[in-house]
Amino acid sequence: MSQSTGAATAEKAHVVIEPNLASRPQDLLTPEDRLEIFRQLYLARYFDVRLIKEKRRGKLRGTLYSSHNQEAVLVGSLFGLKPNDWISPIHRDMPAFFLKDMRGGWRRSDRMGMSIEEVCAQVWGKIDSPGRARDNWSHIGSRAKHIIHSTSMLAGTIPVAAGVVYADRLDGGDAVALTFNGEGSTAQGIFHEAINYAAVRKLPMVTIIENNQWAYGTPVHLEVPTADVADRARGFGIPGFIADGQDVFDVYDKVMQAIEYARSGQGPSIVECKTFRAYGHGDHDDDRANKYRSPEEVEHGRARDPIAVCRKRLIELGILTGEEASLYQAEGKNAVEATDEDFPKEVVQYLNEGIDFALASDIPSAEEGAMWVFKENA
Amino acid sequence: MSAIADAPAAIKKNYLTALKEALFEEMERNPNMLCQGEDIGILGGAFGVTEGLQAKYGEARVVDMPISEACIVGSAVGMALNGKTVMAEMQFMDFISCGFDQIVNMMATYHYRTAGEVNIPVVVRGPAGAYGGGALYHSQMNEAWFCNSPGLRVVCPSTPSDAKGLLKAALRDGNPCVFFEIKELYRKREIEEVLPEGDYIVPLGKAAIRRTGTDITFVSYGQNVYHCLAAADELQKHGVSAEVIDIRSLVPLDEETIFTSLAKTNRLIVVNEAPMTCGFAGEIVSRVSEKAFDLLDAPPVRITRLDTPVPWSKPLELFVLPSVEKIVNAALKTVRF
Ligand SMILES: Cc1ncc(C[n+]2csc(CCOP(=O)(O)OP(=O)(O)O)c2C)c(N)n1
Ligand SMILES: [Mg+2]
Repeated sequence: MSQSTGAATAEKAHVVIEPNLASRPQDLLTPEDRLEIFRQLYLARYFDVRLIKEKRRGKLRGTLYSSHNQEAVLVGSLFGLKPNDWISPIHRDMPAFFLKDMRGGWRRSDRMGMSIEEVCAQVWGKIDSPGRARDNWSHIGSRAKHIIHSTSMLAGTIPVAAGVVYADRLDGGDAVALTFNGEGSTAQGIFHEAINYAAVRKLPMVTIIENNQWAYGTPVHLEVPTADVADRARGFGIPGFIADGQDVFDVYDKVMQAIEYARSGQGPSIVECKTFRAYGHGDHDDDRANKYRSPEEVEHGRARDPIAVCRKRLIELGILTGEEASLYQAEGKNAVEATDEDFPKEVVQYLNEGIDFALASDIPSAEEGAMWVFKENA
Repeated sequence: MSAIADAPAAIKKNYLTALKEALFEEMERNPNMLCQGEDIGILGGAFGVTEGLQAKYGEARVVDMPISEACIVGSAVGMALNGKTVMAEMQFMDFISCGFDQIVNMMATYHYRTAGEVNIPVVVRGPAGAYGGGALYHSQMNEAWFCNSPGLRVVCPSTPSDAKGLLKAALRDGNPCVFFEIKELYRKREIEEVLPEGDYIVPLGKAAIRRTGTDITFVSYGQNVYHCLAAADELQKHGVSAEVIDIRSLVPLDEETIFTSLAKTNRLIVVNEAPMTCGFAGEIVSRVSEKAFDLLDAPPVRITRLDTPVPWSKPLELFVLPSVEKIVNAALKTVRF
């Protein structure tokens, strides 16, 4: 498989069933929407950069799975969701927990997404985490906010997402479920069982494939035999879209088409977002990743930073002009190089509030280890 | 009395009918309940447990699923996450291994890892057990796998009234449950009985004493209960009085009933058709050894399947499984210890 992450690959977008759409979804975005998308990219990037810094300072336990260079997949997928829609993020998608339903105000009290405080409390293993630090990293969720609780088992939440929307449809709802998955996880049996089932039942489920070219230490061509993972869709008789995962607006276009297709009752689809994993699999793997991946490959894969691609588009559209256009040059910088000055102030402040909250939160008491094995019945 | 003579003769029902009644009644009682599995709708199930269910409750609530055990469980978990109660059928419990990850890692842990935010009312049920010539892949009793996975109720009824009452209890419990039905008992005439009237449940975690005795305690569940009862009959001829306990629910386990019996008999044999090593028989012996060692006058005995698969050929199958003869012989040795 080539390492191409560009729009050239996206041109091949293969659609088994052509959705009936008059215009590109992004054409309906307002300038404010686009600026908000830009800010959310920064927020996702800053979250990543800052956690790596905190870890290096010895302030954090546990492995970090960076979403650096893949932020456009998260922001572009989530931006068009309705509050009631469900998502199922995995290890690479930590920002998804707070990015969900952020449009219209990061601090809105009725948001159907997690607060930055909840997410930070989870990262720091504190009692105010939605999961009270019972499992680590991204293994949290919220029934109330329609975020499916992930486990370590790759692709394991896809059937759960399918069941959630089956139940929703039975109750007359119109929610869509968005599941996030690495390209490596598409080799799991449950991936195929669940999408087959969703296709048979025409369930409103969109399976996002974050094809970052690597599954831990294994390149994509040793995981998937087809040139495009989206090609899997053919066998299920469902649409398979390919998005340029570095271009947040292209991701938005493809995912919105998939969502509309799902919501209108036509069934599930797959959206493959071509991107590239910036670092090691987790931070424990950074050094080894530098051996199993060549500098040229990494340079090529990171050449189109999603923040830079978005900035360029906003300038083209005349949304970013003059001095504003060159503010906050976070693109291309990793955690060592980037400073708080590279990020919008509201982004830094938002995360600071989350971290302050997490630091002030307690760790759970030991005896909680034996609690909640069963629901107690009176 | 004439009142009795005028009443319609109470109808005895088999184990399968009892299960079916439980499903109909719970579907009626709980509009948020669904059933799903392979061939359960149009066909009515491989054994007919769900016969008529789809005709009554519709295709949306009685769902024919692709042959995808992991997805049958996983999607049931998703439905439960979104407010439903689900009966998920395994066509044979042998195939539950294909859904294993979704059961032990997704379903069993949900309540725990969400610190109680979510509970999963899903009952995974299906036919299990040997003695029918089902061979390696239609004979298993793999309940121990699930007893070793915290967060799951594990249940195995041996009588029609328990089959109905326990299934109803499991569907209302709010916790995920793996429910082992004994297919050899589905249509067994000898165990048909008049079911209790009206809406009833048999609570999880309560053992039943099937026969009282004073010299030795047999602890068992599923169809081995009947081997124990036959052995007790046989032992009567030898002047040995055996008590037979049917635990019915493995998790939670009613230890009290076992200890109370041992206080009287001081001798224990556990009979179970699953293989011996790390089987549930060993768990019962361990609990007795730890918590009621003083009550024992003889070493506890396990009579289980040999540590082999279940072979097809009849003499081979019987050779590896517990039998009345094996129980009688062990009991005679134990009472003479
Ligand atoms: C069922 C299962 N097998 C193995 C693992 C270990 N593991 C965790 S992440 C990972 C690689 C995943 O690659 P991919 O799906 O491409 O996601 P990415 O990390 O690239 O985002 C592996 C092998 C796991 N978590 N679950
Ligand atoms: Mg990958």
